[in-house]
Amino acid sequence: MAKVLLIEDDAETAEEIKAELADRGFDVEWSANGIEGLDKARSSQPDAMIVDRLLPGMDGLTVIETLRKEQVRTPVLVLSALGAVDDRVRGLRMGGDDYLTKPFAIVELVARMEALLRRPAESRETTLKVATLEIDLIERTAKRGDRAIELLPREFRLLEYMMRRADQLLTRAMLLEEVWNYKFVPATNLVDVHMGRLRHKVDGPGDPPMIHNVRGAGFILKAVP
Amino acid sequence: MLDLQFARSNTFRWTLMVAGVLAAFILALFGFIYWTIDDYLITRSDRVISAHIDGLGGLTAERRLEAIDERLRQDPRGVQLAAIFAADGRRITGNLESLPAGLNIDAPPQGVDIIRIDRGGREHQTIRAIARRMGDGDVLVIGRNVDEVREISRVVGQALALGLLPGFCLCLLAGAWLSVRAQKRVEEVNQRVRRIIAGDLRERLPHRTADDPLSKLAIIVNGMLDEMETMIHALAGVGNDIAHDLRTPLTRARLALERGRTNATSLEQLQAVVDKAIAGIDQSLTIITALLRLAEIENSRRSAGFGNVNLHDMLREVHDIYEPIAENKDIALQVEVERPLTVRGDRDLLIEAVANLVDNAIKFTPDGGKVSIKLLCDGSEPVIRVTDTGCGIGEQEREAVLRRFYRSDKIRNTPGVGLGLNLVAAIVRLHGFRMTIHSGPGCQVEIACPDQPD
Repeated sequence: MAKVLLIEDDAETAEEIKAELADRGFDVEWSANGIEGLDKARSSQPDAMIVDRLLPGMDGLTVIETLRKEQVRTPVLVLSALGAVDDRVRGLRMGGDDYLTKPFAIVELVARMEALLRRPAESRETTLKVATLEIDLIERTAKRGDRAIELLPREFRLLEYMMRRADQLLTRAMLLEEVWNYKFVPATNLVDVHMGRLRHKVDGPGDPPMIHNVRGAGFILKAVP
Repeated sequence: MLDLQFARSNTFRWTLMVAGVLAAFILALFGFIYWTIDDYLITRSDRVISAHIDGLGGLTAERRLEAIDERLRQDPRGVQLAAIFAADGRRITGNLESLPAGLNIDAPPQGVDIIRIDRGGREHQTIRAIARRMGDGDVLVIGRNVDEVREISRVVGQALALGLLPGFCLCLLAGAWLSVRAQKRVEEVNQRVRRIIAGDLRERLPHRTADDPLSKLAIIVNGMLDEMETMIHALAGVGNDIAHDLRTPLTRARLALERGRTNATSLEQLQAVVDKAIAGIDQSLTIITALLRLAEIENSRRSAGFGNVNLHDMLREVHDIYEPIAENKDIALQVEVERPLTVRGDRDLLIEAVANLVDNAIKFTPDGGKVSIKLLCDGSEPVIRVTDTGCGIGEQEREAVLRRFYRSDKIRNTPGVGLGLNLVAAIVRLHGFRMTIHSGPGCQVEIACPDQPD
């Protein structure tokens, strides 16, 4: 069971996050101020941390910076009410691994938490395989079983990203940030349209569907239909 | 109060100083004139008396006496002085009471005090005189009254009094008047500015003719105040718009929750209600995010993240992103590049701007239409042109579409926040580019990207 340390000063928000993560099978420890949080991070060695930026005692970024100086590599998700691009860049530069702006959807938080805990290891493999789906990272080709799939460059990037995180919920915001490199949210449902096309290509007629739409949350590439 | 204050004002001090310097200069000038004339007259007198004494010295004693009498008689102005004294100092003839003390004999002419006795009494005078001892031991004294010099000094003094004093007074008066006037105007401006600070935005500074510097300043400041008043009103308007646009989805959410709480009888019904409420809240959050983003762009400094941006690559990328969306609506999305062009700018922001334009174009073009992204070169300026075959923007709506939250009546039922073009406009402004909106059958938006010196 993954152990998560939550450092958040607002008790109600913390309560909701704790309850949701507990439901998802996480073991959550909560600390309401920066100094105590830093101590807990040192003593209980969590698998991942969720840190609010504005905290009493010591601000969130300083907590992360201190830990990084002590060679603690625990993945950290930064929470903040500051949403400007500069704030985000700063949060990531100070050692945060992901950044979520308040208010956020709880599924977004959980999805990002899972993504941090199951970050794909840097591999030297040149092919990725999920069930019968296979892509060649050098040739930039894809096939499902024996059927070759024609993909545009961006579709290939999207599929690669999803295959590295198979069986994980990927939210639209995560995909926009990672695959499209978008720093803003476009008005139109861009991700859905692109995902629709990719799904059409990956899940051919007669194939059991691999790409699933999770209503109100995002998408999952499932190995076992 | 004002009467005392003017003396301390800078204008007055300056006037006083200038007047003082002028007076000193004039005094020096008059002094010089006086001194020159004095010198000239004395030299002339000296020449005259030297010539006389030479003339008289050459005569016999009798003839000398006659000549002196003759000379004194023919002197209506009474400037001539002459006398002969015996060796023992006794006066033989002439209009001097005695041999003047301190008059050197056989010396060049000099100034001495004498007592004159020919005009019915003794009269003290200062004259130029020369004395010479004759062959018989008598001393001949010839003098000349240089009263003319005193006359001249009187005239010069009068001229000074008549010219300089009134002039000086006039200067002081002018200085006082100017400083009082300036002070009054400054006081007036102060009062009005205080009223503006107190919140009266319609107040303006007084000005008269356009030629005086204070009025020029006032006109410029008034222009600035006009601009600020417009902006503050616009801001208030934006505030109202924001409130309205935030309230609408929040009201929907609130109503849904309220009704759901009373009426929902099953979990499914309650979930439907909650979904509706969440959608409403998300809509409000989207607006807040868009507004913050707009503020972020408007407040950011130029050239923070600037680099060379390949416009052609950028447009192709936007095309790649939006092509599937266009295809879903059966819209032909084309990109045409005349030739590769590069500008200095923030690539992420420029993509955001063009993406917004293309997003709008696709949104407002009916199915089966056409949207084109063109990169062309107008003169030396790269121009990005996004054209669609949608409903277009009417002449009277061109300005309005750049206002926040403006949504044309024609597109009321299309989803959106109504801040897209504001974002584009803010990004364009940040780069020093220009955006123009044309309308033909559809809509055409152009971003001209002139080269900006860093």
